[in-house]
Amino acid sequence: MDSLHAIGFYVSAAISIGSGLAVAFLPGRGSRGAALAVAGLGIAGLYGSLSGDLAALVVLVCYAGCALLLARPQYRALDSGAATWWRQAGAVGAGGVLVLLAYSAWRGDFVYATFRGGEIGAAAVGRTLFAHDALATEAVGALVVAALVGATAAWRVRERSR
Amino acid sequence: MTPGLVVVLFVAAALVAVGVFIAAWRRDVTSALAGVPLMFGGAGVAFAGVSRFAAAGGAPLLGQAIAALLAIAALALVALGVGIAGREASR
Repeated sequence: MDSLHAIGFYVSAAISIGSGLAVAFLPGRGSRGAALAVAGLGIAGLYGSLSGDLAALVVLVCYAGCALLLARPQYRALDSGAATWWRQAGAVGAGGVLVLLAYSAWRGDFVYATFRGGEIGAAAVGRTLFAHDALATEAVGALVVAALVGATAAWRVRERSR
Repeated sequence: MTPGLVVVLFVAAALVAVGVFIAAWRRDVTSALAGVPLMFGGAGVAFAGVSRFAAAGGAPLLGQAIAALLAIAALALVALGVGIAGREASR
């Protein structure tokens, strides 16, 4: 990993964790949705730094969808009914999860290997999609085409009925 | 400092912990759902990190594929949760 990717990794980590904490503390649903979208941007940056650009694109789309779902006007609040001390115990438990996972990462004995996928990984993605999983890729392509045709037909019927 | 597998796992642990914190801290169930994508994102970062630094042989894209699958699963879970919360709140 070169220095540019290393800087991108640390900046993306700070953005994703900081935005995640903002999701916990911001008051309005719109601001929480925006913070979740920024957290998704940070996580996509992490994937990009780890040579996973295709996963980064998927993450960007999915987290934008999550942010829109949580910030839309039809949002309905639903009280959990849990007592305050239960929620505080859960927050302390989150700290315990962090300590446990960080300790296991620190004390773990990992195998290190040379990564041959390249900085973007386009060649490996192409080999996977068009050689190893060609049939699945064609099936997904046919599904997307059928969905687009169906959506277009539904839209035309709806427009005619107006 | 060049990030290695341990640093990636630290960041993944922090993301999972932030997701758990959101799910535990928010009183509103619908806004607590925002913790799910962060927890899944942390797991995905760990998978992508192992795929990047520790995949000895085999397909290097397996961890990234699991990360993409986790992101799609997070979107589906949030959509399901928001839908259920909307139905319950309207009763």
